[in-house]
Amino acid sequence: MNRPAGEPPADDIEYADPGLARERTELAWTRTAISFAAVGAAILKYHPVVGLPVLALSAVVWWLGRLPGAAVAGGTRDRRLLLITLTITAISAAALVLSFLGHGSLLLR
Amino acid sequence: MTDQTSGEDRGAPPGTGDGARTGDRTGTGDRTGTGDGTGTDDGTEPDARYTFANERTFLAWSRTSLALVVGGLAIAQLLPPFPGVPWGRHVIGTPLILLGCVISVTSYAEWKASQRALRHGKPLPRSRVPQILAIAIAAIGLVAAALALVSAVRSP
Repeated sequence: MNRPAGEPPADDIEYADPGLARERTELAWTRTAISFAAVGAAILKYHPVVGLPVLALSAVVWWLGRLPGAAVAGGTRDRRLLLITLTITAISAAALVLSFLGHGSLLLR
Repeated sequence: MTDQTSGEDRGAPPGTGDGARTGDRTGTGDRTGTGDGTGTDDGTEPDARYTFANERTFLAWSRTSLALVVGGLAIAQLLPPFPGVPWGRHVIGTPLILLGCVISVTSYAEWKASQRALRHGKPLPRSRVPQILAIAIAAIGLVAAALALVSAVRSP
């Protein structure tokens, strides 16, 4: 993330150059989004009703990674991370239900 | 290297210019300070690199938990049933799904604890997630081995 030399106010944490940490973190968000897409695609084959929303979530996750987080806003809570946790909890609950159903029980039967 | 957020900074009077921000007070007012500071009770802003690293750690655990959940679902649904032990797939798959859920929630709690420690210049709390993961995976592996044996005995 190269910024023009004249732009950053030196004392603002948002524009303080944290080395490549910001870029690494964005790449980590991209990996997480790809993981969501993989999970969604895996579920999609047998349970389209559950798989499609998870697949769409991967785009949301990718977009979340571009939002300013705790490194910029400060504090000890981050709604983006909380959303990830809640989403994974919901996915695991859905997976638990689906694992006791047959193939495609929700839609294809 | 958390020297720049060490405890001495907390006692500084407000307005000394080392990040007298106001945005961090929302939602964290339930915690009280350590008693020696007169500034915000939320510590001081750590180096952004530490916050980014903390976030990446959380994301890595999230990917791990997603993999566990989808792995458990795949075992329960795609694996052919154990001969003689028809419920065997669920015995392996359900704990994996639950483990993914537990790791996701735990890693968020630990992100929060680490962020708090960073803001107060305290040592980072030790993570319990690797221990949880190792013990649970070992237990599930033992169960899977037992299932395979039982299945081999029962099936002709």
